[in-house]
Amino acid sequence: MTTEELDPLIHVPTRLKIVATLAALPDGDALSFTRLQDMIGLTPGNLIIHLRRLEEAGYLTSEKTRNGTAPKTTVALTSRGREALGAYTQALRDLLGGL
Amino acid sequence: MNHTPDNETVAGNESPLDPQEAAALLDQTTQQARRKFQPNPPMLNVFRGFVVLIAFGGLWLSVRGQHPYTGPKPWAIAVAYGLVGIVIAWSTRALRRSGAGVSGPAQRARSIGMGVLLTGWVLVYVFEGAFYKSGAHIIYGIYPATAPFLIVGLAAAAWAAGRQDWPLTATCLGVAIVAAFAALTGPVYCWLIMGIGLCLAMLGNAAFGFRQLRHSVVRP
Repeated sequence: MTTEELDPLIHVPTRLKIVATLAALPDGDALSFTRLQDMIGLTPGNLIIHLRRLEEAGYLTSEKTRNGTAPKTTVALTSRGREALGAYTQALRDLLGGL
Repeated sequence: MNHTPDNETVAGNESPLDPQEAAALLDQTTQQARRKFQPNPPMLNVFRGFVVLIAFGGLWLSVRGQHPYTGPKPWAIAVAYGLVGIVIAWSTRALRRSGAGVSGPAQRARSIGMGVLLTGWVLVYVFEGAFYKSGAHIIYGIYPATAPFLIVGLAAAAWAAGRQDWPLTATCLGVAIVAAFAALTGPVYCWLIMGIGLCLAMLGNAAFGFRQLRHSVVRP
């Protein structure tokens, strides 16, 4: 097995952090954009680029709601995203076992 | 998402990870996230363990040697309530911090479940009023020391089992078992047995919590 077989969407430091953080929540639960940003330590602009890429791949969903007057965005890992992280973790295990 | 991307090239061009770096980053991020989403931090359980030991130990010291049994002294009750107040304050803070920005079915179910357990806890003490009304003061030592832990412990164990939270299930079941056996020792020693038993249950849960937080997702 080679590193090329690792999911390129997840095998990027920031996106790996996003997916791993969201995967720590119970299945179906979502996290607000601001808390995710706080936990990952990224600027809103950079975070949104990575979120869009993951959303386009179907790894996460985002939802906009209105909390009073302020808009609120929440993001959640989809079952596809969870499976992708599982496969990525297994691939890492295989790679590390072979090294 | 109403934010403007500020630098797409920076976000798109990160240096690739080697497998060891990726494994370390995955472990580090997962452990950090688990710690931050943890509503029941192990350190809080360690504190709870020592609090119940001191509170129940104090209550036991205040009733030790009473003939006839008259119940805990006001100073011991004040110490116990003071310590419980600190635990409630820390627990509330931990719960708020862990749940900040989190929404969804599991979060909702957790809030409802905890509300039900809290209501049950209050109702057990309301029920105690029936004993006072009937003049059964002799059970005062046994009932408040054990009954809430037996009843709410069992309910919490069932709730935790439904969520497949096995460490919490084991802890709550352990608390209920300790309460059932402590009641057999009478109104004086039940305080001591409960203090020791609850402390051990909390420390056991904390030990498992520390282990779980450090558990690697990549290396079994």
